[in-house]
Amino acid sequence: MNATAVNKVLEVRDLCVSYGKVEALHNANVSVGEGQIVTVIGPNGAGKTTMLSAIMGVLGSRGRVDFDGSVEGVPEVERMVARGMNLVPEKRELFGEMSVEDNLVLGAFQRYRMGRRDHGQTMEEVYDIFPRLKERRTQLAGTLSGGERQMLAVGRALMAKPKLLMLDEPSLGLAPLIVREIFRIIAELRRRGVSILLVEQNARAALQVADYAYVLETGEIAMEGPAHKLADDPRVIEAYLGLGGKHQDKLAH
Amino acid sequence: MEALRIIEDEHQSLAAILHAVRYMLKEIGQGKLQPDFRLLRAMVHYLDAYPEQRHHPKEDQYLFARLKARTNEGADAIARLEQEHAGGEARIKALEAALHQYASGDRDGFDAFGRAFENFADFYRNHMLLEEREVLPLCRKHFTEEDWEAVAAGFRDNNDPMGGTRETEDFRRIFSKLVAAAPPPIGLGGGPYEDD
Ligand SMILES: Nc1ncnc2c1ncn2[C@@H]1O[C@H](COP(=O)(O)OP(=O)(O)O)[C@@H](O)[C@H]1O
Ligand SMILES: [Mg+2]
Repeated sequence: MNATAVNKVLEVRDLCVSYGKVEALHNANVSVGEGQIVTVIGPNGAGKTTMLSAIMGVLGSRGRVDFDGSVEGVPEVERMVARGMNLVPEKRELFGEMSVEDNLVLGAFQRYRMGRRDHGQTMEEVYDIFPRLKERRTQLAGTLSGGERQMLAVGRALMAKPKLLMLDEPSLGLAPLIVREIFRIIAELRRRGVSILLVEQNARAALQVADYAYVLETGEIAMEGPAHKLADDPRVIEAYLGLGGKHQDKLAH
Repeated sequence: MEALRIIEDEHQSLAAILHAVRYMLKEIGQGKLQPDFRLLRAMVHYLDAYPEQRHHPKEDQYLFARLKARTNEGADAIARLEQEHAGGEARIKALEAALHQYASGDRDGFDAFGRAFENFADFYRNHMLLEEREVLPLCRKHFTEEDWEAVAAGFRDNNDPMGGTRETEDFRRIFSKLVAAAPPPIGLGGGPYEDD
């Protein structure tokens, strides 16, 4: 149990997800405290995206999700968005035919609809974090490079001033130089008080930036603990932090 | 063991820059990219200054010194690493000279810089592998609580190596500038690089 989480923004209990008869997530228990970065690391196919989709209510599940002080039971996506949960999916879905700035404005749509017209100021904060997006604000999102697209996807999520930001493999498919920069920015977001649930295969980078960590293997949480403790655990080092960063073998249960 | 995570994290920064230079050289060689000599120079400078000012002193003065006091295990590897650290200046001079030749339009300049870079990158990869495979695990094995505390304190001082009397470079800021100026897909494509 994540005892380092003081005011829990998210508490997931015994969450199970099945695709047909196949159970892809089994009794997952995860919590995120206010202002924390919590990471879920695990190899390809472990169930990381499945877990985020279920928490967000995009996928049906069994179990319980408590978010920002209220019991959701089984979450429902529109309601989770309205209540301040925001997911940056692996595919970084953007509107390629729209400008960078218009993509950002859309990120504030939900707040706008609820009568909060402060997106101008939020946009300045996002540009402060991502100066490159400001330089390219009039250009079409479809012309952005991979690294810029990831920055825009995160920037757009921040426009909603989320209570919980969920990032699905932000380093996926990016070159080492940009990966380092993305993780530097994730650390900067924590400094600014954003609570983050970060799902990653890049265990080295994720454990470096996170406060608390879970290891997910074949749909089950195999280990958990403060991130620096897990980073020092011989089993984690062997399976996930070996040189070259490839996690060939799973942890022995 | 925070210290070992810091060392490994710094290795990641160096490896990312090596990857970036290698990628750019490949693209230049295939005629797909025009060289940005300021950017190349800034990256070579990073590969020199960051290890010299921040990284190697931590290893030599704190980690390796403590380990030698605890055990003979790994003595050969440490001796080799220390020797390699001491040779840092000569290695980087060779790389800088090759870049200078290339930038001044030498006929063989590109190929010679490419070879010099591959030598440098090979050397560095082996160097970091030796540390991560052999020496850092020995620290994990032999260090006492007291060792870890002493090393952590040393690392804190090293963040300001001259005790505040000398301006040291802001490597975090430089790194972000390199990412911003490097061409996609390795960087954000905001180049050419501009010196401060
Ligand atoms: N829509 C789906 N239908 C059936 N099986 C799926 C579906 N999506 C994912 N899976 C399976 O569920 C498991 C977990 O997948 P996923 O959550 O995408 O893992 P991760 O994000 O950790 O790579 C995998 O075995 C995958 O093949
Ligand atoms: Mg996934």
